[in-house]
Amino acid sequence: MLDIAGLSVAYGGLRALSEVSLKVEAGQFVTVVGPNGAGKSTLFKAISGIVPAAAGSIRFDGEDLLARAADRRAHLGIAHVPEGRQVFKTLTVRENLEMGAYPETGRRQWVRTLERIHALFPILAERHEQLAGTLSGGEQQMLAIGRGLACAPRLLMLDEPSMGLAPAIADMIFERIAQIHREDGLTILLVEQRVAEALELSDRGYVLETGRMVLEGPYQTLLSDDRVRRSYLGIGDE
Amino acid sequence: MDAQIFFENALNACVSGLVIGCIYGLMCVGLSLIFGIMRVVNFAQGDLLMLGAYAAFYLVVVWGTMSALGPAGPFVAALLAGPIVFCLGWLLHRFLLSRVSGLRTAGSLDEGHFGQLIVTLGVALILQNGGLILFGSTPRAVSTPLSSAAWLIETGPGDTTIFLNKARLIACLVALVVVVALWLLLERTRLGRALRAAADNPTAATYMGIDVDRAHRIAFALGSAVTAIAGGLVATYLSFTPFMGIDFVVIMYAGVVLGGMGSLLGAFWGGLTIGFVQQFSALALPPQLQNAAIFVVFLLIVVLRPQGLFGRSADRA
Ligand SMILES: Nc1ncnc2c1ncn2[C@@H]1O[C@H](COP(=O)(O)OP(=O)(O)OP(=O)(O)O)[C@@H](O)[C@H]1O
Ligand SMILES: [Mg+2]
Repeated sequence: MLDIAGLSVAYGGLRALSEVSLKVEAGQFVTVVGPNGAGKSTLFKAISGIVPAAAGSIRFDGEDLLARAADRRAHLGIAHVPEGRQVFKTLTVRENLEMGAYPETGRRQWVRTLERIHALFPILAERHEQLAGTLSGGEQQMLAIGRGLACAPRLLMLDEPSMGLAPAIADMIFERIAQIHREDGLTILLVEQRVAEALELSDRGYVLETGRMVLEGPYQTLLSDDRVRRSYLGIGDE
Repeated sequence: MDAQIFFENALNACVSGLVIGCIYGLMCVGLSLIFGIMRVVNFAQGDLLMLGAYAAFYLVVVWGTMSALGPAGPFVAALLAGPIVFCLGWLLHRFLLSRVSGLRTAGSLDEGHFGQLIVTLGVALILQNGGLILFGSTPRAVSTPLSSAAWLIETGPGDTTIFLNKARLIACLVALVVVVALWLLLERTRLGRALRAAADNPTAATYMGIDVDRAHRIAFALGSAVTAIAGGLVATYLSFTPFMGIDFVVIMYAGVVLGGMGSLLGAFWGGLTIGFVQQFSALALPPQLQNAAIFVVFLLIVVLRPQGLFGRSADRA
């Protein structure tokens, strides 16, 4: 479904990604992990077209994404739930979700998806007239995910959805993501710092370090890899 | 007897404050869209208002295109100034402002404000001096038979009379209709929501599939058009020159800040407040000091209520 090959991205002269390749098949749950500054968000921004690619290709269902303007990519069925939530603070909860449904497919399925979003996150139904900027961090994250779902996407990209959340709320968010994948069969690409939980949910994992993919494979392989265990899971050998 | 006269004057100041204030409110709403909501500094806003006034002047007086409409002509011309200046605003944004605003400057240190300041100051100078060359320096007016006609309302104790200038009252009603229409457009339509989302968070709006550059362009052109309509309305009761914008740009910024940045209706109330202050200060102060009175009230409100009269904060405290 998503096929990235040899992707490089530079900010000015600074290389943030070098020759990154990544594949997501339809129905899969794929996780990218890596330390701060590895380029994970940059990878997502390149997929969404917010930063230009210096080299390489990104194909979505065989279509060349790099030939599409950034604002057209959402219309292909790619939802990006950005790092730091980025909800529309001056719009109400309801309007935020309506903005998520801006693409044609989202509008056609609006009634059904809204029901689904409210079933996943009942608090959003309760708060639908509240300005999004006045929501708590956890609620904003739920709204950001709901907004992503509102376009009835075929690929849902989540950038550190647990960032800055209390453990209980983060667990709840993870549970919902797993539920979305399980029950709706939605293809998911996840970036996470909570490596153990994230890898547990995924079919495949990638490890990104200073702009390079250093490791990839099914999650069992990654979980048993010494480097991953030491650096990300805090488990030593001795 | 003196008290009687003072009462009558105060009542009339009140009414004309309301009427003028609505027109000020309209021009403030135009700037609010550009500065309050899209956060683009536009020093040429007053000169777009001036173009609106001249557009109405040319349509009515020079080309006589409105003669069939009788006394309604000047007001229709004021409304037509909207689409004319909309096109100009569109072009201005396409070729100049898009380079210093929107996605291009989102997240940069000054959000592009320095660039906008310099570009729009340049545009303002070009419009003023271009206007001088094209239109000349003779004060113009779009007079209608209604300009010198008034409804007299006799009320209250004694023979208190309220004078309602017909042209101003109609201009005020037209202004109200345009404000309501714009508000409905922004609050109730998909396009309006997209404009607000693009202003709120351009990056996230792009993730939603919104063409942010286009949204900004529409907002800029729309804000220009609304202020131009106000200019056309001003022209029906005030004589003007190509430099009229300078007086009004001050009123507009004061109104937007008074009402609270980011709130369209707030800007309208801000403009209305300024209309009141101006008319009331005319009771006690010589004309040269009227703008000073506006600023005293402006400073008072900004000190006492920094979020503006009607602003609400969307961020958690
Ligand atoms: N707009 C920018 N301009 C210049 N450099 C940038 C920009 N955005 C990111 N970078 C740099 O690119 C590198 C990768 O950043 P990125 O945000 O992709 O990291 P990340 O893996 O998402 O990190 P984190 O886990 O902290 O979110 C960093 O070194 C960062 O400083
Ligand atoms: Mg990141």
